[in-house]
Parts: sequence; structure tokens; C-alpha cells
Amino acid sequence: MRNRGIRQGVLQVKLLAADDEELLKLNSQLNLNLSLKELKTIKKYFQKLGREPFDIELYSFSQLWSEHCRHKVFRGLILDENGNILVDDMLKSYIAKVTEELNYSWVISFLKDNAGLISFDDEYSIAVKVETHNHPSAIDPFGGAATGVGGVIRDVLGVWASPIALIDVLCFGPLNTPYKSIPKGIKHPKYLFRGVVKGIGFYGNNMGIPTVAGAICFDKGYIGNVVVYAGCIGLVPTVKYGFWAKPGDQIVIVGNSTGRDGIHGASFASSILDERSEEVSRPAVQIPDPIVEEKLRRAVIKIRDEDLASGITDLGGGGLAVAVVELADRIGGGAKIFLDKVHVRESNLLPWEIWISESQERMLFSVPKSKINRFLETVYSENLEASVIGEFTRDRWIRVYYFNNLICEVETDFLLHPPKIVRKAKWSKPILVESEFEEPEDYGTLILKLLSSDDICSREPVIRTYDHEVQGNTVIKPLHGFFAGPSDAAVIKPLNNSWKGLVISVGLKPWYSRLDPYWMAASSIDEALRNNICVGGRRIAILDNFTWGNPEKPDRLGSLVRAVKACYDFAKGFEVPFISGKDSLYNESPLGPILETLLITAVGIIPDIRMAVTIDLKASKNPLYLTGLTLPELGGSRYMQIIEHDGGSVPKVDLKISKSSMNLIRESIDKGYVNAVHDLSDGGLGISISEMVLSSQYGAEIWLDKVVSRNINRDDFLLFSESNGRFLVEVKRNFEDNFISIAEKLGAVFSKIGYTLSNNCLLIHGLKGSLIVDLSGDDLRNAWKSGLRA
Amino acid sequence: MVKYKVKVEVWLKDNLVDAEGKMVEESLKDLGYNVQSVRVGKSYSFNLDLSNDSLVEKVVDEICRRLLANPVKDKYFFKVMRYEE
Amino acid sequence: MNILVIRAPGTNCDVETVRGIKECGLNAITVHTDKLLEGSIDLFEFYALVIPGGFSYGDSVRAGAIWAAKLNSKLLNSLRDFIDDGRPVLGICNGFQVLVELGLLPGWNDNSTPSVALAPNISGKFECRWINLRVANVNNVFLRYFSKNSILRLPIAHSEGRFIASKNILSILEKNGQIAFKYCLPNGKPADMLYPFNPNGSIMDIAGIMNPAGNVLGLMPHPERAVYFWQLPTFPSNIAAKTYFGDGYWIFKSMCDYIIEHFQ
Repeated sequence: MRNRGIRQGVLQVKLLAADDEELLKLNSQLNLNLSLKELKTIKKYFQKLGREPFDIELYSFSQLWSEHCRHKVFRGLILDENGNILVDDMLKSYIAKVTEELNYSWVISFLKDNAGLISFDDEYSIAVKVETHNHPSAIDPFGGAATGVGGVIRDVLGVWASPIALIDVLCFGPLNTPYKSIPKGIKHPKYLFRGVVKGIGFYGNNMGIPTVAGAICFDKGYIGNVVVYAGCIGLVPTVKYGFWAKPGDQIVIVGNSTGRDGIHGASFASSILDERSEEVSRPAVQIPDPIVEEKLRRAVIKIRDEDLASGITDLGGGGLAVAVVELADRIGGGAKIFLDKVHVRESNLLPWEIWISESQERMLFSVPKSKINRFLETVYSENLEASVIGEFTRDRWIRVYYFNNLICEVETDFLLHPPKIVRKAKWSKPILVESEFEEPEDYGTLILKLLSSDDICSREPVIRTYDHEVQGNTVIKPLHGFFAGPSDAAVIKPLNNSWKGLVISVGLKPWYSRLDPYWMAASSIDEALRNNICVGGRRIAILDNFTWGNPEKPDRLGSLVRAVKACYDFAKGFEVPFISGKDSLYNESPLGPILETLLITAVGIIPDIRMAVTIDLKASKNPLYLTGLTLPELGGSRYMQIIEHDGGSVPKVDLKISKSSMNLIRESIDKGYVNAVHDLSDGGLGISISEMVLSSQYGAEIWLDKVVSRNINRDDFLLFSESNGRFLVEVKRNFEDNFISIAEKLGAVFSKIGYTLSNNCLLIHGLKGSLIVDLSGDDLRNAWKSGLRA
Repeated sequence: MVKYKVKVEVWLKDNLVDAEGKMVEESLKDLGYNVQSVRVGKSYSFNLDLSNDSLVEKVVDEICRRLLANPVKDKYFFKVMRYEE
Repeated sequence: MNILVIRAPGTNCDVETVRGIKECGLNAITVHTDKLLEGSIDLFEFYALVIPGGFSYGDSVRAGAIWAAKLNSKLLNSLRDFIDDGRPVLGICNGFQVLVELGLLPGWNDNSTPSVALAPNISGKFECRWINLRVANVNNVFLRYFSKNSILRLPIAHSEGRFIASKNILSILEKNGQIAFKYCLPNGKPADMLYPFNPNGSIMDIAGIMNPAGNVLGLMPHPERAVYFWQLPTFPSNIAAKTYFGDGYWIFKSMCDYIIEHFQ
């Protein structure tokens, strides 16, 4: 290394002669969160360079080699108990493989950029990204959730897209968990729930991006660790998406000043929460400022439209270190950075702190020299700060200077290629005892109890605190119709001069993980697609977000492999590509691993929003059809939970039945044969029919003996089974024959189970012919709207 | 030139429902504390330079009325303290 | 004939507001407040001023307070001249808060201390929902296409919208006919403070007020989000009715037609 003077704020670390024990000691002293294998690889590298490393260089590895940035587990080699290869690189072998094999021309970018891109029409593309922000939200629910939203918005800005919608999916411990049962260092679900909801609303509302879809669920498996998924959808003129940076282009940091907040965020995201988390992790929590981000959005769009930059990326996990190295890699070169040029908010920051700080609301640009003045003018006109901090170079080295001293000099390739990890995985089927129980006597009360339970009740107390109307393009809202019932998916009309719409839905079935993560994943995909298709969506692309426990433990990894395998099998089966994804591992607490959770987000299009369909019944005397097959699949169901019984069979997915059901709905919506569609999900038929009635001014009467089922001879199983692939449809009576002929042509499983009524009430006849449910619309509404008070 | 350190507190008037305060109260009760009448206010602190000593109360009052508080809904208090550099 | 839509850091409803105005046949452009303060853009090039919704300056101090202070510092007299000239000023949501903070609503005196206030919602939460409004006065620039007591459906989205004024002020507002809208039940009967029909706890269910001359209107609901049939919560059932526009459109249309009638 040249320039061997005294280097301000930089420590040389004695690594070359360190033995394993000393390496590990160093690891914990510097809070590097690296494995011994990684430390040894780094030692070898510096032995080759023939010098001791500086602290900033080790911190670079700590960030760039973190699980958060490199997906080491998903990229790793996984062996079974006997040491045989189970799978090598799950991302490549399962997730990316679907998209590659389907090879759709409308997929513009997948699993590569900050966000996935699909084409919307001839001119525009849609960018989508969903992030996890579990760890920060567990420590500081308001700030953690808000910065989660801010981060995912920057991901979308990072592909030059203008954000047009947000989604959020949250999982908490039961709100009524006794305070005394909560271990030290863990916050009560109610506190977390309030803070997270407030944080999400704060950021999205301030930014003026509508929050249009999502889900909330509760389970004791989330007491120790919360789940916060934040997603953003953006719109970009397809020609404006791209990367044109070249060696010599200037590197400019724009937005908030850099401070000490968020130091070690990326490595913190991959560590386990315990009693000490609060104190040690405080610096890892970032401070949100949505107004700066609103200015950033305006600046990014102006820069894009006037072609003032050659590349862009957000400053997320790992801060400058990660953003600079990844951009340098994309141009096939390196970079020269002058850290003293970065605008900072505290004067005593050490160089390594500037390098890895995760201060929010900052973006990194590459700007051709000829455009730098116009670039800076544009940025300043939005009252933003900016600093030119270096340039890209042809040679593949990352060189960082601090007041003319070279303090980091490492090869780009080495920084991006941690040693491959090898892990063992094992999954054994849980032993579940099938419990036997009597049929309930009072179905009316049972339906009301389910409707008012925290898992099913109206999300209105939360949804109303999010602005879902801003930008004026929300067609199907999260609460829709005369009585503001629940929607299966949101519809956005993003362009003024086109009727084409965007359909956004989610699928989330974490409870099934306890039975079999494979079918949990399959069910999540089936549900996300069903929801999308209900309102008229098609040409659907999906995203995966895994939240799992410690992957160093073979049982956790075993179940993860099973779930990822299902993602391949069913995405391929349904012919839907994965365009983006993100995983959050190491979600553990003194209470054990988190309930293993997979979120599937589905983004489809609807050719004309005027054909969109909602769940509320629209007229009386119309036939009600149920599609798909009902099986005794009550394992992990909301019914079993409420009657407090374990066991049962997990809902599986029969691709043939699900696909014919979905095609039937899509075709009937296109032809205008249907008035209302709702999928059967949490709570099964009993809850879906209730939701259709409570959303509308009409009623319904159904007969359970008309339901197409197999091996069921009790009313409760028919009403509350959560079998996949099913839809409930109000068919326009003068098109009933047309509906039937499409269904027969497609070989769909279907039957007429009842009619709509002019009175706003729900009547259900049991297998024995007697009336087992007789409830008014008001009964249903009052129950459904009574829950979720926190 | 006279130098002052100023502290201002702004509260919603007592006759107006303070919803944030109510929410904090509920949360504290959840945690097992027997609290009542929780209200949430804002406080500001700043340094102020004036050419004339006798004006300070009037100027700070004006600052409160013109920006920091809306007298229709807010009440406010302030403290001023002279200091030397 | 251009209409000026001003913005500040944190403004986020300018795009759809411009779209709503353009739908009525006039042009609208968005200008950053700094440009007006610098003097590089002249207010009097425009025939109406719209202050759109958002979270200007992050709602620091109070919603609208900082933006109002900025305008107050350099532009207050021009704004008063603009209004005296009969040119319309419309404040939506955050814009309403700004007009109140500037004293341009109720618009009685020359001192800029506010005489009414928009306090935090009584629910303590941000509220985004569709509400019903009864039109209380149609003798003004904005509501000419409605008849008195007609019921509008518009969405609200705010956390500081609780209208507050003293009894004395309220009686003057009422006597002058300055109350533009009141929150009501779906059948048009007064909401009488009943949540969520009166979504924020506004005194006398007041959702919007205007100046005595009727060319300055401030309202909490968002007309720009109710311009087209497909924006309404009654969609898709409302397709059969074949009415292309929502109630928000007619507020913009009334303002635009007024400008064409009076300034062309």
C-alpha cells in the first residue's frame, strides 16, 4: 500500500499472524459478524497482498459478506444428514429457474436489480419490490417499520421508477398475550402493533403513495419476533430503465447527511434477538424522514426525464460500501472514493462509519462529467444536499481515501464473493395426532365468533390510518363497496390515457408451516393468485419473501428447503415467474424460532379496469356457484384454532383443479358473466359467504349438500375446510348457461350451491336439510367490525 | 445585544380532547401503571438575540402566537433566561 | 388562462389536482413555493391559486404552519390583492390548514393571527375514508353547480382536520353564510358529531369554509380524488348509471367556468 503516513481515524488490525481464537476474538471486538471460514479467507487474502488490513477494510467485508447482502444461505450448498447434496444454490436451482424456464418476453428484469420489472404496456414497465424489516421493527416498531417503507420506496426509485403503490404485511403475537408471559427484552405485541402500524402510515402518507393492499396475522409464533414486510410498486417508461455508467463517471451521493444511525444494520439483520438486543442494537436503528424522501423522489424523476445520470442505486443495507462496490461491479470496474467529501451530520464520524452508515433517505448516482453541473442544479432546486465523492475506474479495485490517505484497497471481485457456505438440512414430518371432536351445535354463533376473531375481522382500524386514495388512481380499494367490505386485491389505474389497470394481491398461510412448509408455500402461491384473479387479474408475476429461523440449525434449514422447493414446483405449475424476492433469516428469540412465514406477492394486469369485479353481491335471485373441490383439510385452519384443536390435514394444491377454477373465473369476468367473485380462504366457505353478504345490500341462501366434496359428512368440515383452488361466484342469471358451458369446456369442478336474496341476510342449510345459520347482514357486519382493538 | 435562552411549551387547551394523550394513557395502563389525565405537548428551545432587554417577553409571545401555537386551540408557556457567551 | 398549483416540500396531491383542473378545460401548472418567494414567478400571471394537499414541511409545528409562515413572510400582501381582485383561491386539506394559518380564512381582518383552527382528529388517528357532505351555501365561486342541501361524496385523508372556533366566531360564520359544507349522514341529516360520519370531531360538523366574498374556499375533503366514476367506492356498480364524473369534478368545473366568465 502506498501513502504510508499516519492515517486519521484509521486503525491497522493485526490479522496476518492471528490464530483462529484470535480471529474470533477480533470478530466480536469489531462486531464483524463473520464466520471463522470467512475470517480465514480474509486473512489469506491480506497475506497475499502482504500487508495488515485497516479496520475499514474489515468492516467492508462485514457488510458485503453479510447474509442480508449476499444471501449466503440461499446461495449455499445444502447437504442432507448423510452428507449428500440436497441442493446447490436454492436461488438458482429453484427460484430463478422458474423464471428462466418460463422465459416470458414481458419479464424485463428479475432477481437482479433493486426491484423486479415487468412490462405494463408498449411504453411503460412496472417495478416491484418487497422487503423485510423484522429486526429493526422488533427493537423500535415505529422507526423500524417507517424506515422499512422508506427503504423499499428507494428500491423502486433505484430502477428509475416512480412509486405508485405500497403494500404491507404484518405478523404479531396475539394482542391478548399476558404481559407477564413475555420474556425480558421483548416488547408486547400490542405495543409493537401500534408502533408498526403508525410507522407505516407515517411514511406512506407523508410520501403521498397509497397503501393499497396487505395482510395482518397473529400467532404465538410471533411473540418473540415480529414480521414486517413492506412492498412498493412503481411505474417507469421502459426506455428510461437501464444502466449506462462508464469508468470516469462521477459518483454522487444525494439526500440526507450521513450520521451514525444504522451502523451495522446489515449484519444486525442477520443476528438473533435477545435481552441485550435493545442496547447493542440501538445504533442499528435508523431515523426516518419521509419529507427528504419526497424531495428525493421529485429529483430522481427529473434526473431520469432529463437523462442527467448514467446509473442509480439506493443506499440500503451496508451503506456506501455496498452501493459503491455493487455499482462498480456492474460497470465491470472499480471505484475511487474520497470519504471526506461526504456531507455528514456529525463532525466526529470515523471514516469506516461514513463508509457503512445506513442513514436513511440517501441515493447514489453515477453522473457523466459533462452533465454534473446540470445534475447538481436539479438536485439543489429540490432543497436537497449532494456531494461528489469520487469516480468509477477501469481497473477492478475499490480504493477509498480519507484526506488524501489511502485507507482501503481491495479488489471488487473479492469483496463480492464470500466463500460458499455448506450447511446441513433435515426435515422430519411432525407427528400430529388427529383429534376427534363433536360437531358444534350453534353454527350462527360460531360464524360470528370467527368473523370477530383477530385473524378474520375487519382491518378497518388499521386500513383507515393509511392513505389509500392519494394520487387519485385507486380503483378497487382495500375496503370497498356500499358497506366497505374486504377486497381480494387492489386495482390501480396508473395512466391517464389508458384503461389498463394493475392488480395487486398477497398470499400468506404461515399456520400451515407447522404441518408442512411445502404445502404452506404451495397454498400461499395458490391464495395470492386466487386473490388476483378474483378482481380480474391475469399475466401474473410473483415475489417471494421468506422469514425463517436460524439456518445454521438443520431443522430450520430443512423446512426452508422444502418451502423453496414448493416455490419451484407450483410457480412452474401455475406458469407464473418470480421477479424479485428477499429473505430474512435468524428470526429467533428465547421463545424459539419464529413461525416460518412465506409471503407471496402477486402483480397482475387487467386490460380494462371497467371490467373489474368486487366481492359484494350485486342483485337478488342470481345463482351462486362454488368452484373447486372441498376436502377434509382443516389442519392449521382458523376453525381448528378457534375451537383449540391441533392436528388435521394440511390443505394441498391440486394444480389441475386450481388452474381450471382460475381459468373459469378469468374467462367469465372477461365475458361479463359474473357480478361478484370471492376466494375461499381463512375460515373457508362459511367466512367467504359471510363476507360477500356483509359487504352488500343483498343476501344469500346456500345448501351444503350441493357442495362438491370428498370424504366429508359433517357441516363444520364443509363450512370451514380451507381447501385451495376454490371461488364463490355470483353469476348473472341470464348468463348462467354460458357460465356452465365455459366451466364444462375447462373441465372445472363446480356446482350451484344457492341463490342471492333481496334481503340482506345469510341462510345456510346443513347436510340434514335443516337451517343451521340464519343471520342478518347487520349481525355479520357488527361481528366483523368489532375486532382488532388495540 | 442581549442574549437569551428560551424554552417554550405548547399544549392543546384543556377543554379539547387530546387523543394522543389518551392513547398514551391506555398504553401505560396496559403496562400496569395507574395513570390519569395524560396530555401530550410540544416543547421548543432556542437562543434569541435582542437589542433591547425590556422587549423579550413581548417578542417571545409574538413568536408563539405567530408560529409555535395557534391560540384558538393551543395554550403555551415560556421561560426566558439571560446568558453571556 | 393558467391556474397556479403551488407546492412545498411534502406536498403530494399536486399531480391529481392539476389533472382535475385540466379535465375542466383550463391549464394548470405546479410551481415550487421557493420560485414565488424568490420572485422569479409572478402570482398575477395566474387566474386562480390552488394550495393542494400533502404534508408540507412534514407537518412540523402544526399542519400548514410552516408553509403559512413562509408565504406570510413575503407574499401575504400579494395574496390579499389577488383575492380582492376576485381571483379564486382553493385550499384542499393541507391547503385549507395553510389558509387558516394565514388568516385568509375566514378572511375578516388584516392581521394574520388565525381566528379558527384545525386541531388533531378526535380519534387521534389519521383517517382515510369516504364521507358525506351537505352543501350549506351555493352562492360562491366553487359550488355553483350544486343546489343547496345537495349531498356530496368525497374522501378525506388527514390527521389534523378538527375544525375549532369560538361560539362568537361560529355565529358570525353562520350569519355571513361562510360555512360551505357540513359532514352529514348518508341520508343528509346532520352527523351531529357522530363518528365516523363526522370523521374528526369538527364543531358543528364543519368540513369547509369560505371568505365572505365567496372566492376563497378551504375544505378538508379531496375533490381531486372524486373526479371520475372509477375513483368512487360505488364502482363498479355505478357503471350502469353512466355518469362519467364524480362530485369533485363539479367543484373544479365551477371554479374554472367562473374564471372563463369573469377574466376572459
